[in-house]
This record gives sequence, structure tokens and C-alpha cells, in this order.
Amino acid sequence: MSESSREGDAQVDVALITRWQRGDQRAATEIVERHAQALARFAATHGVRDGVDDLVQDTFVRAFHSIDNFRSDSSLRTWLFTILKRLVLDRQRAERRSRNQVELDEGHAVQEFNALDGMVADEALLRVQQAVGRLSPLQREVFTLRVTEGMPYSEIAKMVDSTEGACRVHYHNAMRAVKEYLSDEGVPER
Amino acid sequence: MTDCPNGLMRDLLPEYARGVLGADDAARVAEHLDACAMCRAELALLGRVQDGLALGVPRMNVAAIVGALPKPQPVVRVMPRRGVSRHVWQYAAAAGLVLAVGGGIVWRRAPETGAVRVADSSHVAAAAGAESTQSTASVQSEHGITFGGGLSDLSLNDLQALLGQMDSVRTLPSTDPESMTPVIMNEGGKTL
Repeated sequence: MSESSREGDAQVDVALITRWQRGDQRAATEIVERHAQALARFAATHGVRDGVDDLVQDTFVRAFHSIDNFRSDSSLRTWLFTILKRLVLDRQRAERRSRNQVELDEGHAVQEFNALDGMVADEALLRVQQAVGRLSPLQREVFTLRVTEGMPYSEIAKMVDSTEGACRVHYHNAMRAVKEYLSDEGVPER
Repeated sequence: MTDCPNGLMRDLLPEYARGVLGADDAARVAEHLDACAMCRAELALLGRVQDGLALGVPRMNVAAIVGALPKPQPVVRVMPRRGVSRHVWQYAAAAGLVLAVGGGIVWRRAPETGAVRVADSSHVAAAAGAESTQSTASVQSEHGITFGGGLSDLSLNDLQALLGQMDSVRTLPSTDPESMTPVIMNEGGKTL
């Protein structure tokens, strides 16, 4: 996304927030329409398979309760992703406690990520999911934000508390790893 | 799959694949893709990744989410008052008068009558000399406010009358220091 169109998007979000704060409930609908599906995708890449809709709803509820804290130095979507990510981590911690499990390592994360397997009919897409699932959590987050959202490195860096340069390296390393995995597995061309 | 050496073009591919690239950049990428098989292959892979990650993600129910949101609470702006009413200024002037005059006034209860004696500070020296002989039960101040007995002896009507007299004072007391020239009075209270 070009810099100007990103700024335009950010301005639209800020205008919608202002309208909502002035009492226009339709502005909330527009905000949800603009970001709900991206949040759902983001939740899925974090291994959430059940209750994605609840998670996204909780994210919006929290965001609107503290909308006054939103600073437009980052995009609204980045801010929403940050809230959702916190909720996902809270949920995962709670689930681990309830199951009396030890801290998830990378391998477990891959297993969780691949929990969508049952829903995937296309073998090639399943392999792609497996390839992404094998990335480290940080690589996977940077990679999926870049690929599925087209998010600029500057925004990704804020989300993962890193630098733009480091995120660029993570992205290209992830891309190389995905290519290698798919090449080894012999993914059929579509 | 080998990587294209043009890092700038490769960096733009995810946004190109998402269709969110600006027109100028999109045209440059398209031109590059025409000549670069490596980037075409990477673009195809990006499309598969997007499809793969989108699979199994449920459609969000926007109405349900919006229904759970808190209702907006419009901020009510309180317009600042343009000024303070005339009455407030009158009371403030009266209070200022009392404080200012009170700073330079000696309030003393006459031992034999309990009357409150009022005198300007400039009169204090002389008043002190005349103190033993003065048995007046009431003393009138320069502003014509008369005190008879203690404040506690005043009725509600008297107090209201007193406040009314204060309200009639139109000017604020001067903040200039009073003359230090003592005023000497004789025993009858006349200035010499």
C-alpha cells in the first residue's frame, strides 16, 4: 500500500472514531466492517481455531471502551491487532493452566497452528499452512502480517516491538524457509 | 526457487498481491514482473499463502459485534460563562470592603457596655488616649455604618440592613496606604 493510501486509510479510521464519539453508532459498524475479517485472519494465524468470533468481538469491545487511548501514531488496525494478540496470549495462558500443561514450545505452536488441517480440503494449501506453521512465532507473525495484510514494516515493527530492518530480515528469512519447505515437499503447481 | 536480486521489487510483492499498492508502484512492479520469472513465481506463492491462511477463517458477524459494543457517550461541552453577575461583584466588593477596612480597624468591646467600638487606625492613637473617658455605647464609622452592641446582638433585620448598606457602597476601598499622620482628638472626640 502506498504511503498516501495508508494515510488516507488512517484518516478514514480517525474520522470514523470521531463520528462514533459524537454519538454516531453507524460509524462503529463501518469500523467493524473494515477490520473484523482481518482480525479473524490474524487470530487464525496465532493458532486460534475455536471462538474466533468471540475473540474478535472481545477485541472490539475492549478497543471501544478505551478508544480515547488510541493514538493515531499507529494505524487503528495495528492497535486492534495488538489488543487481539494480548487476548490470544491471555487465552492461551488460561488454557495451559487449565490443562496443567507446560509452556508451549515452538513445536506445540506448530501443532496448534495446524489445527485448521481438518478444514483444509486443498492439499497444496494444507502444505502452505504447514510451511507457515513451521516458522518461529516471530517469523510467522511478521510474515503473515506482511502477506495477508500487506502491512508495512514500520507498523509490523511496532506490533512485534522490533525495528523495521529486523522485520524485513524476518520476512525474507521466512519467505526463504517457506520456499524451501514447499520445494522439499514437492508442492504441486496449481 | 531462487530469489530475484531486486530487493525493492520483492519487498513490494506482498502489497501488490494484496492489491493495495499505489498506482505508480503497481505499474513499476507489473513492468518488472513482465521480465522477471523469479518474482512471478514468488507472487504466485504469495497468492497461495494468502489463500492458505484465509482457509477455515469464519466470516465475522458484524451486527453481532456492533451489538456488543458500548454505546457512544457524546461529550457535552459546557460553555464558559461570559461574565460574573452584577450581584456577585457587589458581594465581592462588600466582602473586600469588610476585609480591607477590617485590617485597619480596631474592634474592641467596651468593658462597661459591651458595645463594639469602631475607629480607623489613624485614630487609634487618639482613641487610645480617650479610651478611659469614652463611654459612648455606639460609634458611627466614616461610612455611616453603626454598630450598637456586639454583632451577636444584631437581629436578622439589622444584619440585612447592614448588608444593604454595604451593597450601596459603589466603589472598592482604596488600596493606597493610609496617611501615617496621627489625628489627635480631644476628649470630646473632636479632631484637633
